[in-house]
Amino acid sequence: MTLQKGAMTLVILQLDDEIIKSLSNNELAVLQYVYDNIHAVADMSIQELAKNVSYSTSTILRFCKKLGFSGYAEFKYSLRSEIQKKNLPDEVPRHALTDKIILDTICSDIEATSNLISSDLLDITFRYLDSDFPIYLWSPGGLTTILIDYLEKLLFAIGRQNVYKIEASKTANHIIRRLDEHNILFVISTTGDFSPTVKLAKTAAMNHIPIISITPYTNNTIASIASVNFRFFTNQRENNGAEYTSRLPIFYTIQIIIKSYLKYKKMRGLL
Amino acid sequence: MIPLLEQAHSYPLTDMEKQILAYFEENLATAVYMNLDELSQALYTSSATIVRFCKKIGLNGFNEFKYELKKELSMSTHTSLSPDSLLKHSLASFKDNVDSFDLQNLRAICDFLISDRPLYIYGAGLSSIPARYLQIILTTLDRPCILVELRDLMEAITYYIKEDAILFIITTHGDALRYMQIFEKAKQHGTTVILITCEEDSPLHPYSNISVVTNDENQRYHNIDLNYRIGIITVIQILIEMIADNLLPSPS
Repeated sequence: MTLQKGAMTLVILQLDDEIIKSLSNNELAVLQYVYDNIHAVADMSIQELAKNVSYSTSTILRFCKKLGFSGYAEFKYSLRSEIQKKNLPDEVPRHALTDKIILDTICSDIEATSNLISSDLLDITFRYLDSDFPIYLWSPGGLTTILIDYLEKLLFAIGRQNVYKIEASKTANHIIRRLDEHNILFVISTTGDFSPTVKLAKTAAMNHIPIISITPYTNNTIASIASVNFRFFTNQRENNGAEYTSRLPIFYTIQIIIKSYLKYKKMRGLL
Repeated sequence: MIPLLEQAHSYPLTDMEKQILAYFEENLATAVYMNLDELSQALYTSSATIVRFCKKIGLNGFNEFKYELKKELSMSTHTSLSPDSLLKHSLASFKDNVDSFDLQNLRAICDFLISDRPLYIYGAGLSSIPARYLQIILTTLDRPCILVELRDLMEAITYYIKEDAILFIITTHGDALRYMQIFEKAKQHGTTVILITCEEDSPLHPYSNISVVTNDENQRYHNIDLNYRIGIITVIQILIEMIADNLLPSPS
């Protein structure tokens, strides 16, 4: 063990004797590798590090947790910021903290959204997608329209027939009012309470039309009416009345629905 | 073969229960996605009979039976059936993508985007989704910009484009050469080009002032583009956050 380097890393990672004693032999080997390659490790993904030390990613993760970090990302972040502090004592990178918060928020929103997607939810959705019921996509305008277009394009790409996008509120209500339960309404709402969407969903519910919805995790009218509801995490934001709430978790949910449906179709075809 | 079903044969089953077992053996792939009602209809039996069958072969009930079946099915077919593994895999690849970004690079792009130079945002096909997303949000944040969704139109614009303009181009295209003319023209005019792509070795990189490479995969389904572009949409979201941080007064 190269003592000098080791001592430097110890300072960087602020490890005390007790933590070191708690490490298994495998974890010590990981620590040794980090000592010897500290700059390289700061740029490695967990998979790369695991490969280089020939241990599993879960060993690396356990190692990070024993060192007091929430996971590999935080470990790496701390490594990087400490290296930067050591190298450039006076110069903190511009926006470093803001950027870390931005990335952390994005990742935790997606992780929380992903955790709310259950296989039961997907199973029911698959059955609706498998049916030959026409699917009506409600496109209320603004940013939600882009999400509906994304969903529409992906549904077309996987060959789902009978997908109809409906745009104007009056037309949409007119169409939904004359449909029966052998149709599907798909709605997306970033607040869950947008009144034209709520109105349309209520009309659909009256006609026993199954509703698939994507709404926020909070209690909202649309989620309470929908037959299948996917929930997402995001912070509602606006700029003087014009909102710019992140739609990333909704894009992510749509991707998961289509991706897993395709996989399910492939499995059925295979067997 | 699925061990759970094989094992079930060793229990003393009634004729009806043997039929249930046979049904699963013959229709495994579809049966694991059916609910109790559908299954009892298909088998002309009561749900109680099916639940009894599940208990007889040593499980707590129908859901556990389905879960075990799905699990064993995924083990027997290499590619996993469980949506759970797909969720985990997608999340892992999402985080890997976020980890891979050079934040200084993204901040540099952000500086271009918030400048008052003319800004053209281009994306066609599925790439028009992230392009439109960025364009609408920038407009909301009081930064006017122009959305172009047709390649020919983009090319037409580059004939007279000015030096101070910024081209923000999103393309995942395997056939990047169809954009070569646009990039060459932009370079001739000294226009700043920002490229967002998932192709590490795209021939367009040398023609771009800044580029970002995501981990999206150029997959096709029946020869149709099915690149979900979540990596690209994530870059757009990070840029949006950085821009909002720059343009809007902090809440404090």
